[in-house]
Amino acid sequence: MLEVKDLAVSHKKKIAIKNLNFKVDDGKILGFIGADGAGKSSALNAIAGVIKFDGEIIYNDFIYKSPKEAENIKLNIGYMPQGIGLVLYKTLTIKEHLDFFADIRDIKINKEFLEYKNHLLSMAGLEKFLDRRAGDLSGGMMQKLSLVCTMLHRPKLLILDEPTTGVDPLSRIELWEILEQSAKEFNTISIISTAYMGEASKMDDILLFDEGEIIARGNSEQLINEIKPFVYEKTTTDKKHITISDSTYCLENLEIQHQKPTLESLFFVNALKKDRLLPKLQIAKSKESIDKNIVVMKATKITKKFGDFYANRNVDCELKSGEILGLLGANGAGKTTFIKMLLGLLPLDGGELELFDKKIKDSDDRNGLKSQIGYVSQHFALYDDMTVRENMMFFASIHKIDTKKSVQLIDSYSKELGFEKYLDEMPKSLPLGINQRFSLAVSILHEPKVLFLDEPTSGVDAIARAQFWELLKELKNNRGISILITTHYMSEAEFCDRVVLLKDGEKIADDKVENFYKKFPNAKSFEEIFLEYYK
Amino acid sequence: MRLRIIKAYFLKEMIELIRTKMIMMPYLMPLLIVILFGYGIKMQVTGVRTLILDNDNSQISRKMILKFEHSKYFTTTVKNMSEKDALREIKKANIDAIIIIPSSFEKNSLKGIKTEIGVFIDASFPSRSTTISNYIQGVVMDLANDFNINSSGMININTRNLFNQALRDEEMIVPGLIGMVLLISPAILTALIIAKEKEEGTIFNFYSSPVSKGEFLVAKLSAIFFLVSIAIFVIFLVASYLFDLPFRGSFFLFWLASEFYVFTALGFGLLVSIIASSQIVAIIVTLMLTIIPAFMYSGMIMPISSMSGDAFITAHIYPVMYYNHIIYDTFLIGQGFNSPTNISYLLLLFGYGIVLFLLGLLFLKKEIK
Repeated sequence: MLEVKDLAVSHKKKIAIKNLNFKVDDGKILGFIGADGAGKSSALNAIAGVIKFDGEIIYNDFIYKSPKEAENIKLNIGYMPQGIGLVLYKTLTIKEHLDFFADIRDIKINKEFLEYKNHLLSMAGLEKFLDRRAGDLSGGMMQKLSLVCTMLHRPKLLILDEPTTGVDPLSRIELWEILEQSAKEFNTISIISTAYMGEASKMDDILLFDEGEIIARGNSEQLINEIKPFVYEKTTTDKKHITISDSTYCLENLEIQHQKPTLESLFFVNALKKDRLLPKLQIAKSKESIDKNIVVMKATKITKKFGDFYANRNVDCELKSGEILGLLGANGAGKTTFIKMLLGLLPLDGGELELFDKKIKDSDDRNGLKSQIGYVSQHFALYDDMTVRENMMFFASIHKIDTKKSVQLIDSYSKELGFEKYLDEMPKSLPLGINQRFSLAVSILHEPKVLFLDEPTSGVDAIARAQFWELLKELKNNRGISILITTHYMSEAEFCDRVVLLKDGEKIADDKVENFYKKFPNAKSFEEIFLEYYK
Repeated sequence: MRLRIIKAYFLKEMIELIRTKMIMMPYLMPLLIVILFGYGIKMQVTGVRTLILDNDNSQISRKMILKFEHSKYFTTTVKNMSEKDALREIKKANIDAIIIIPSSFEKNSLKGIKTEIGVFIDASFPSRSTTISNYIQGVVMDLANDFNINSSGMININTRNLFNQALRDEEMIVPGLIGMVLLISPAILTALIIAKEKEEGTIFNFYSSPVSKGEFLVAKLSAIFFLVSIAIFVIFLVASYLFDLPFRGSFFLFWLASEFYVFTALGFGLLVSIIASSQIVAIIVTLMLTIIPAFMYSGMIMPISSMSGDAFITAHIYPVMYYNHIIYDTFLIGQGFNSPTNISYLLLLFGYGIVLFLLGLLFLKKEIK
């Protein structure tokens, strides 16, 4: 049994977590959910004994109050920190990792261990890749290998910090199979933080974190039932409320139909309770009329090879103006490579590309088109040592926008996209969600006609993600901007007009979202449709 | 201290160093530094293009010309031209020095009347011109001795060439360079392989496992220690064969001192890696901490005995001067274990290493900062 009493952690005077109290029984899976910066990682670090903390943690009668005292129970702990492949050595092979972890954990090598190891490997589907280096694995495989390494010494207390973030649905299912089995067979206590609400429903108990405190506790059914009275169908009202995508959240009674809440709704109801109303994000309508039938981008049989490996093979894709096209696929399916080729960051190895009806053969053909294209990369390409305002001024000057106009643009975008009060702060000190919106503002400064977004919502919490999608819709409707976006959140496919599915570098489906649902009438979510294709 | 853990880390480090090709660093970097600096730093001057204007044409003046002609430091030409033309030559950089022997040089000097020899030296490079001037004075003094002329006011020959009779730069520079590279390369490598784990996050494997701090450090350091220990021999061979250095002392002393010295260098890297959280910071801080003392305060460029005040103290704080003392001894002098200074410096190096290692052990924390 694990008990946490009055746990508090602070980073450089900033309180990350305070007054944390909870108990978990053996064999249970406890979930931590919450926005980023809510204190989940700090709590996990403290329990794993790798950060200084106040309060005490009791594990099976053993009490520890500092990392030093925790040393004695590290034998029983398996800890996987946040970040894809973080604990892996990129140049070591899978087999070398297993040997290394067995050695540093001083595991007795006997028949029983070998059986257990092979069992883990086959569950993770890694047994065929023993000689592959960690750096050459896809994100999903890296996370599975990390989990195998973490579980090699059969920890009794498993602490996993967002093990599935950035991992495709298929790998996520496999990861969860390993976890659930370990909890059942070895009576392991598992504490897992996650950004996927779909996973939270598999947990025995969930703690919802907000600003360093637990604000709700229960299993997913209980949590959903608690907020049922506050979730309505989309409507407008004078009372304090939050309306986002198809739902309206209000603490007072509205005389309209209730909607079935999801775990995501928890975040919105909590924001309401804390009186953190979301600013209305709105982008001014452009004066020009929007022509809907222009083909902005047309790719025919695009191919990219890295050595013998096809990152993209004969991919056809078309993007019309005023359309949001979602590019979905597992890790390593070739989404980023595809966008990079569209941008000219990687040369084509085959196929043809047309942008705005112009054939693109070499970089000269792109001259003049650059002003039409905006791009947000996976890791927002901002300068950490300049404030938000300075960053924006810099990018404006790159696009040769004169100073007077850039000041105006920064002023209006920061209001419209809701980061006005952060203008004079450093990007590093801001939540990911704000950085993401401000990157979006940077990418539309020069009024492009098309936007390429590479996993812009990765690692961003539910509220910020919802707001981001509202913004994209505004851009589409009010500016007529076409958007090509890659994401691995399958739930976000619902916001796209059309979805292209990639698998192993090839296109396996391309259709409107509603047609996907017609094809698979039994599917409850897009994730299930995705899995149908990937099986 | 569990051997299995140390073996695991040691092997892992080796595999990583080989696959990232970093394994070349403890060999390539020292070789490059020794070769580039060893050939590059020249303080001795040979073949000074000298023009002699003999206005006396006496026995003494001819003897003087002969002495210059026989010296390998000078390439002389004797010409009959005006002083003005000669100065024009020096301006065109056709010659480096002019020596003008006055007309009644022999007569006056034998009579004891003060005479002056005119010397013009191209002083575009001040240190070079000082050397040339010293050489010329040396030759003239030598000449004066031959003819029993009182040569008061002549300057003594530099005492530094006592054990370097040939005045070869290599013998001054290369041993000092060994002290430099055996400090820099192990320090950087150590700082790097620990900072790398921090930067990439793999340090969590250490934080969250029962591996003790001592085990972690011994494992990490032993990998580098092993690689650099081999480098010691490589560098020794380069110094002996490529630069033709004599070796007059005890090889065992050289080897032992080098190993102790490398151990202190590892300690430097270790301390840096405790502060640095990224590889780039680790490299820059280590370079700053090692290059300057290894160059300036090592006795290679400037003798420690001629330093004063802060510089003298700084030189004694760094381990470089102690090691260099032993290195110069083993290469050039050869007192070996008979010299109490050598033995005390050897023990000092060992103690220095132990202290740095213990400091590292104390400051290293198994937790996130």
